[in-house]
Amino acid sequence: MTGDPLERDGDAPTDEGRPRQRYLLDDGGFDEVPPKYRRFYRHWKGPGDELGPNEVLCPVCKVVIRATRELRAGDRLYCMACMTRLRVRVGETGRIEADCEY
Amino acid sequence: MGGPTCRDSVVEVHDLDPQEFLEQVHSFEFWFHSVEGYLAGTQYGHRAASREQPLSDSERDRLVTALCNYCVGETAALEGASGLIAIAPNRLAKVFLSTQVVDEGRHLEVLLRRLADLGVRDPEAEVERRASASIREFKRRLLQLVGSKDWEAALFAQNVILEAMEFTVFQTHARSADPVTAEVLAGIVKDERRHIGFGENELGRRLRESPHRRARLGEVKRDLDPLVLETFEKTVREIGIPASERPDLGRAYLAAVARLGFA
Repeated sequence: MTGDPLERDGDAPTDEGRPRQRYLLDDGGFDEVPPKYRRFYRHWKGPGDELGPNEVLCPVCKVVIRATRELRAGDRLYCMACMTRLRVRVGETGRIEADCEY
Repeated sequence: MGGPTCRDSVVEVHDLDPQEFLEQVHSFEFWFHSVEGYLAGTQYGHRAASREQPLSDSERDRLVTALCNYCVGETAALEGASGLIAIAPNRLAKVFLSTQVVDEGRHLEVLLRRLADLGVRDPEAEVERRASASIREFKRRLLQLVGSKDWEAALFAQNVILEAMEFTVFQTHARSADPVTAEVLAGIVKDERRHIGFGENELGRRLRESPHRRARLGEVKRDLDPLVLETFEKTVREIGIPASERPDLGRAYLAAVARLGFA
């Protein structure tokens, strides 16, 4: 689950002028970080696991990182499971990906 | 240990200041509340209620050999991480490594306990008898790097080469192991996420500031990664994982060194 969108713009194309969708994150049982941070992460279920617009896969430890807002290129994220700072970009396939920022 | 859990106290974790993030994740406070999530209520790395699954003699024998090799890897990491504290370049690295020492000591303890539960009378003697020559040689060379106070090289050998391969092998083994061994390994994997992340991020920062260190790490890579790869490839074969399900053991490790810029 990617969380419950609080604000949607239907099928409108994504662009910087459009408000971002916001998400309420539930605690999905990710037990590898302190309780107050658990809702920001979930386990990856493998290649068939479709990520939501507010989710990205950590390239270091393969945990799904979640945000309360729709992700866009340039956003900063933290993977607390492996203590990595990441920067969001749009990959070659158009999918949201993240690079380590040391 | 901190106050009660309050999800509303964190509006958006990703809005933390980068330095505040580093301070938090390299603290004992963070470590304690992290491991509590998956170790509370366990005994020697698994739930007391977990049932033993009957193993044939050959399955048990292969499992014991695998666990003996894992014990050498964990002993290497325990001795390596404790030695690295003295040469770590800053407080955050020293504190993190002290949490890693605790993790590695726990790993060694639960693996030795698992060997005893499998009927091995003297687990430490069995490790001496069965562990592969290549993982012993890796341990010897890792501790040489630590002893020579070569921070980057030792951290690379331990937290990138060794930990990345353990991470992949333990995950794979946990999927096919008996329930008790699977729980023990799954708990270790959760610790390993922090260790591989620390190694890659610390080295990434050091290489950004001093790119000339890249050549030295390239030498370490050529020298040491075949030793670990040989041990774990043999282990994966021996624990009976079908070829089609065997992971590319080098993949996670190669991805990490590619991100660091010297694949």
